[in-house]
Amino acid sequence: MKELVITSLLGIGVLAFDILKLRKFILPLIVVGLLAVVGASIVDWGMNENLFGKNMIIMDNYALGFTSILCLLTLAWILTSTDYFTNEISRTDLYALVLFALCGGYVMCSYTNLVMLFIGIEILSIPMYVLAASNKRDMLSNEAGFKYFFLGALASSILLFGIALVYGATGSFQLDAIKNVLATAGSGTIMTAGILMIFTGFAFKVGIAPFHMWTPDVYQGAPTVITGLMSTMVKGAAFAAFFRLYYLGFTPTLEFTASIFAVLAGLSLIVANVMATIQVNAKRLLAYSSISHAGFMLAAVMTADSMNPRMLMYYVLVYGIASLTSFNVLYHVSKFQNGAEGFDAFKGLVKRNPVMAGAMTLSLLSMAGIPPLAGFMAKYFVISHILERGYTWLVIIMVLTSAVAVYYYLRIIVSMLTPIENAGRIVSTDSNRIGLLVLSIAMVAMFFLAAFV
Amino acid sequence: MQNDLSHLQDYLPVLVMAFVALGFVVTTMVLTHWLGPKRKTKIKSEAFECGIESQGNARSPFSIKYFLVAILFVLFDVEVIFMYPWAVIFKDLGLFGLLEMFTFMGLMIVGLIYIIKRGALNWD
Repeated sequence: MKELVITSLLGIGVLAFDILKLRKFILPLIVVGLLAVVGASIVDWGMNENLFGKNMIIMDNYALGFTSILCLLTLAWILTSTDYFTNEISRTDLYALVLFALCGGYVMCSYTNLVMLFIGIEILSIPMYVLAASNKRDMLSNEAGFKYFFLGALASSILLFGIALVYGATGSFQLDAIKNVLATAGSGTIMTAGILMIFTGFAFKVGIAPFHMWTPDVYQGAPTVITGLMSTMVKGAAFAAFFRLYYLGFTPTLEFTASIFAVLAGLSLIVANVMATIQVNAKRLLAYSSISHAGFMLAAVMTADSMNPRMLMYYVLVYGIASLTSFNVLYHVSKFQNGAEGFDAFKGLVKRNPVMAGAMTLSLLSMAGIPPLAGFMAKYFVISHILERGYTWLVIIMVLTSAVAVYYYLRIIVSMLTPIENAGRIVSTDSNRIGLLVLSIAMVAMFFLAAFV
Repeated sequence: MQNDLSHLQDYLPVLVMAFVALGFVVTTMVLTHWLGPKRKTKIKSEAFECGIESQGNARSPFSIKYFLVAILFVLFDVEVIFMYPWAVIFKDLGLFGLLEMFTFMGLMIVGLIYIIKRGALNWD
């Protein structure tokens, strides 16, 4: 409860500070507020607080863990992109929308009722549609917002239809009641149709092939800083909700849906990595990279009945940090070169801003899964677990596509190392420099902390 | 495995209702087209607007200000809709309900002041 109240009051507080002409204090307020949320989730740890009546939302350890991860990722995101906000006239709107979206993220990782799941998804999605189109004068940003809204609404409606069918078959929205019906009576025609529709809706939202078509366009069109948020906080929340659904509710159905999961995960990995190799735009490349990571996380959801949720948390955090860093560096690089997003834009970055070059290298290698970076351990957890479950062919696809991924990540790294003449320095703010350093250290440190997962 | 198919019987009236609704529309439209006399003139096939002759094209661009006002109106319209069920059980809720509604309205007022300060309602 505290987490939700603090974050939503923070959103209102940001608006109130703008009204009272205290704009200088908005950023400190957000930092303090988000740290308070992390503190509150530590205080609530193990309490299993039950909100809004019986079994609508339960703040169990799963929910609190994801709440603090989403919160920390958003905090890191805000602190590393302060220079984006200082240039924006409507920065208060952006801050408030992000905080309200974060509230939706909390609901998505703590629901125990399908209605709450739907409400959480909408609270998260609607601010994101606006944020995707927040660069009002840019046609690509408008297109991104429009596409995101229409396909997101379509996915929501499919999901909602699925929820209605599941309700029709079981007579309940509660995850535990649905699980009981599934375990005792099995799943009939309506139930199967409902479960598959819910799955399709989720696959749309998290961008799994063949429902990934919107992802590259939206990620490329939206302002780069916002894309950074989409690929970390939003994706993390969506997978938290997806895993929770199969962890608490639809567990018995994994028997017949696991093969669909496995095929789609393999398809995502192949499509994303093959498409990424032919990209010439770094932003679009990172979008495809996020689809391939969605494939990995889908493999984790596929084994939700036996997997330790901490492994998914670790994956979300590690991928979030790496993705946040790479999109942030991309934003600064393209800002200083009139919006260029090709590989050439990265030329000579080692000289032009060593901190950014270092952070970008670490984040790309972490996403590629090269030790001693945290991305390696994240992939290792997923791969070793699904190998135990006997999906050898999927593991082979994962390893082969990871090798392909190294190729296209290295293209950016090679470009950064290529020297160019008379290039000016890329200046960055202090908070950005410190933020990137902290994120880089985290990427290495989390590799060694993986033993505690 | 048959248990949830038997559930379907509960939805049979809905299906019947859907067919009746669809059938009514189709039947009346077909019948009126078939039975009614057809004497088409240019004036008759024009768009009807209270008897005044129509002018120009309806698809001209409107100022964005109308949409802003309209969307903000919807927001506060919905706020009032929330008050109806609250007012019905106002006595049962007591002081708690009153404070809840004040909280809700307080949040809406912060939003209202914010949009006024941002100049969303400035016409010029």
